[in-house]
Amino acid sequence: MGDPAADGLGAMGAWEFYLVVLLVYLGTDLLAAWGLNLEFGVTGVANLGYIVTIAAGAYAYVIFTLGSPASAGDFQMYVGGFGLPFPVALAAGVVAGSVVGVLIGITGLKRLRQDYQAIAMLVVSLMAATVVSADTPFLNGNAGLVLLPNFAPLSDQDPEIQRWAYVGIVAVCCVIGYFVLRRFTTGPIGRTLRAVRDDEYAAAAIGKDVVLLRLMVQAAGGALGGLSGALLVGFIGGWSPGAWAYVETLALLTAVIVGGMGNDRGVSVGTFLIAILILQGVQFLNDVPELKALEAQFNRPALTQDLGWIVLGTLTILFIWFRPQGILPERRPKYGEVRG
Amino acid sequence: MGSAARPILEVSGLVKHYGGVRAVDGISFSVERGTITGLIGPNGAGKSTALNVICGFLPPDGGRVLLDGEDVTGQAMHRLARRGVVRTFQLARVFGGLTTIENLLVAAPGQRGESALGLLGGGRYWGKSENEVLGRAREMLGAFGMQDKADDYARNLSGGQKRAVETMRALMTRPKLLLLDEPMAGLSPSLSRQLEDMFLELTREGLSLLLVEHSLDTVDRLCSKVVVMAQGKVLAEGRMSELRTRKEVQDAYVIG
Amino acid sequence: MQLLIEAIGFGIASGAVIALGAVGFSVQFGMSNVLNITYGALMTLGAYVGLFLIDRGVTVWIALAIAGILVGLVSVAFNRGLLAPLMKRGTRAFAIVIVTVSAGVVLQYVIVVFAGPDAKSYGEQSGQTFHLLGMVLTASEVTIILLTSVLMLGLHLLLTRTTLGRAMRATASNRVLAQSCGIATDRVSDIAWMLSGMLCGAAGVALAITTVSFDFSLGAVFLIPMIAAAVLGGIGQPYGAMVGGLVVGIASEVAAAFTNPAYREVVAFGILIVMLLVRPHGLFGAVWATRRLMA
Repeated sequence: MGDPAADGLGAMGAWEFYLVVLLVYLGTDLLAAWGLNLEFGVTGVANLGYIVTIAAGAYAYVIFTLGSPASAGDFQMYVGGFGLPFPVALAAGVVAGSVVGVLIGITGLKRLRQDYQAIAMLVVSLMAATVVSADTPFLNGNAGLVLLPNFAPLSDQDPEIQRWAYVGIVAVCCVIGYFVLRRFTTGPIGRTLRAVRDDEYAAAAIGKDVVLLRLMVQAAGGALGGLSGALLVGFIGGWSPGAWAYVETLALLTAVIVGGMGNDRGVSVGTFLIAILILQGVQFLNDVPELKALEAQFNRPALTQDLGWIVLGTLTILFIWFRPQGILPERRPKYGEVRG
Repeated sequence: MGSAARPILEVSGLVKHYGGVRAVDGISFSVERGTITGLIGPNGAGKSTALNVICGFLPPDGGRVLLDGEDVTGQAMHRLARRGVVRTFQLARVFGGLTTIENLLVAAPGQRGESALGLLGGGRYWGKSENEVLGRAREMLGAFGMQDKADDYARNLSGGQKRAVETMRALMTRPKLLLLDEPMAGLSPSLSRQLEDMFLELTREGLSLLLVEHSLDTVDRLCSKVVVMAQGKVLAEGRMSELRTRKEVQDAYVIG
Repeated sequence: MQLLIEAIGFGIASGAVIALGAVGFSVQFGMSNVLNITYGALMTLGAYVGLFLIDRGVTVWIALAIAGILVGLVSVAFNRGLLAPLMKRGTRAFAIVIVTVSAGVVLQYVIVVFAGPDAKSYGEQSGQTFHLLGMVLTASEVTIILLTSVLMLGLHLLLTRTTLGRAMRATASNRVLAQSCGIATDRVSDIAWMLSGMLCGAAGVALAITTVSFDFSLGAVFLIPMIAAAVLGGIGQPYGAMVGGLVVGIASEVAAAFTNPAYREVVAFGILIVMLLVRPHGLFGAVWATRRLMA
């Protein structure tokens, strides 16, 4: 949950800028939530390490966009540095997320109970965070990486146009992402994935290759996560281990559970509520002077963020207790009469 | 090409350790093509475990399984299912979050919608094959008298209905060999009879069945051959009428 | 060589604390069949309660006892109020684990709101340094090792020599059967959660004692090595967790001494992942544990 690098607002007013930020965050959060929903809501893979696919996408984007470390005076250390244009870097993010998604999925393949699988994936994400933090030459360790130039697409334009153009890019990616999602959640394949979710052994008993299906879903879910991360870092301009702590998966999970698991529209609604109302609401409140004074007085610099997490965690528990199907439950599919 | 004389299933020397015990202790028997074979025996005899190993749910610790002459020992369950060996479970495992008709639709083999091309092509690509499958599914629901439950979530069905759905689902896969674990349990007598008639009809069309059943009446009516198991071993193999009188079979049921 | 022995010494000290926490975690899994991720935040709670008491002049070991009791009570309430009802309703295992992860996050941030995000410390608690067989241990570390050993022995005696212990073992292995034998399984459960909660709180304080400074992430950080220890020893089984704790502690310290200190955590993660993938019922796990772990 970082702040976008505000490199001069230009002609844009504060409110307009804030709207841009909101839209970009909404778009990237939607992509991530759809990916997690595909894995968790539709196929039943409780991927508590999902945030790593987002991080992989972000880091891949950065190391593909940046020039070599030496060209910037070696002030940050990292592998790669290919200095490639925006679309290539974005594609790299998608691929990285996909690969990482599959790798995480492999840890969940063993015939373990779902909660164990969930913990295994969570541990994978913690491991990844620790390794990246510790191994500085890899991705600049704990300090993270900073993008320069910021805003790779259309960097020769007005900042105002740049920003709205970015919103447009995010919107297009969302349309594509939604299209991909629908391909997986509707029709025979969607039915099969839900069957795997409900009972993977019964699914195997009727000939479904559960391992292959799961890996496919992990690849697709990871791709969406990677795209989300790449788009986000392109806007924010920097990425560090602090940005992908394991609690971030919780925010997405809350969105999926609150909105309605397994259900594309429900998850979208949930993401809007969580990403916008709560997460951005928290950011917004953070800037309110009265609250800032309160925070300074009691030495609670991140008070609104902390309260935000408390609200999210409580919401998740409340929904699992009272309404596990979410705000918009899965719609019961109806099949028409045989045609012809 | 399998010859008509070769059994569809041959099990030889099958062994399975389970929880420190030899649940299946070197069993051998065969199922002839187009017949119904019963697997009977007292509780704890190892019948369900044997079924679990034959269908690939559990890996064997020894022995061989031949499907139509081909060695399929230890292959994964979904591979065997695609070859036509499909099983049902003792406690009916329906897909609760799917509707009744979806439970049937999902079982149809070789659906175009499930391939990579299907993902790319979308509804236009798999619409027609989906239609065909839908027709078969509706027919089967009708045959079992469950058309009105087609759009209900399977988790809301009664126990007996769930069992029927499981059997229907298995039939939708167009199997060669059906492994059924107590298919009649919980079904009404009329539905039981219907199911029995359906099985007999299907065997005339070439389907083979291996049935684990406790109801000796059902076994009597359906099975041309019976395999009696006790304590992990095969006691006897033959026609029900002959075996009924044999002492060791009677003893097995008493001692358990 | 000297480095190795010293590392083993550190490993025994940290292993004792990990064992303390791992046993409580294991008991909760054994009794209620749940992976209680909130355990981490509850340890943090213990550490902060201890801090509160120490800042007001309470001796550190008394503070440990009080913190333990408090966390024990909270744990019982947590199980009775949230986990047990959800499980009775048939909520699926992964939903329960999400609930415990969420509850852990909520508790952790409540602690931050009340106590602040800055690093805290118990102050100088180490006491004298001892040199034993080439290992360097402080007085407080030795006390913790002794304390852990005493508590483990007490638990062992409870489980094997008392009626209550037998009832606990029966309930853990087959709740329905235990009920039909007339055991008040709910009450037995409460006691198990109280005892394991006390171990949890004590572990939190022990962690705070043995680290120079800590913050709200204390429990979360050390939870993973404890889960690794519990799984290594065979989850659900307290004895395995004791051994597991030592193994994880020593392995982590030795790895840290010979490679990068930051990789201390990675060792625990690695052990956990490998165990889950290769041998989920642990080194000493019984067959019944295996059945519980498989889907």
